[in-house]
Amino acid sequence: MSWAAHDLEPYAIQKHSRLKIAFVPLLLGSYAPDLMTKWYVYGIHLGPWKLKASDPAQFHRGWPGLGFTHSFIYGAVICLIFWKVLGSKNWGVSFMIGQWAHALTDTGDTVGTMLLFPWTHHFSVGAWAYAGQTGRNTDAAAYFSGLGSMWDLVWIVYGFYSWQVLTRSYFEARVFTADRFWPAVNKVVPMTALLVIYRAAFFYGTSRWIAWTIWAHVVHHYPYDLSWGGPHWVHAAHS
Amino acid sequence: MKRPDRRQLNTLLAYAAAAAIYITIGVLTTDFLLSVFVACAFLLLTVWLVPAIVRRIT
Repeated sequence: MSWAAHDLEPYAIQKHSRLKIAFVPLLLGSYAPDLMTKWYVYGIHLGPWKLKASDPAQFHRGWPGLGFTHSFIYGAVICLIFWKVLGSKNWGVSFMIGQWAHALTDTGDTVGTMLLFPWTHHFSVGAWAYAGQTGRNTDAAAYFSGLGSMWDLVWIVYGFYSWQVLTRSYFEARVFTADRFWPAVNKVVPMTALLVIYRAAFFYGTSRWIAWTIWAHVVHHYPYDLSWGGPHWVHAAHS
Repeated sequence: MKRPDRRQLNTLLAYAAAAAIYITIGVLTTDFLLSVFVACAFLLLTVWLVPAIVRRIT
């Protein structure tokens, strides 16, 4: 899994796409696979009960499980719902692009994703360890010690290199005008606040990358292991 | 690469200050780092609402 890449990729996609892209569904698509699954991977407490998958990797990426949320067909189905049921082709296509980016990015770890579901083959590059089954903190420590965090860093650096996508003029010319969502919200929320909301995912991805890195390597001294499939000090799940 | 102007640099500084606070809280309490909605609310508070209130008062 990736941590910050899903926050940052939509800005690069928005910049380079020749299609008219709506940023909100693009970001929603980028988050969607994990919004459906992560809470149950790490587990949550509901009063006295703890809800947690018995096999987190299987639940997150496999079948049986909700691994289909990381497949192309999932993005296509939600696209069709936005397009044909809710009447917005723009939102549908934008969502699908974001969700496909997520599914492709998550092929980077040792579990990979069932891109071509219902074919249940896992496409996996295996560059960094999948450690979701170890719990949130160990998973974070492992992720921010391996190549996954370097992949996130590529997007952060690229984001700063392409800083114009975060400017007011870019937002007003390219983002605000591409989607009726922004003018509708602008009736009650001022433009300055909308600009802050637009920048929030970049702020979140970059800031939490720094925070988790400090937490893992300054506060807790987990060792870096940038070897392929690492870090090898954590038990990685495989497909 | 085009360089940011003074106004854009001031904006960057405001976001960097907000990020420093967010990161400090996040390192001390990692639950703070778990939600993009929390981050968005924090950012709205620190770079839009509070400065707007201060400007109105002064």
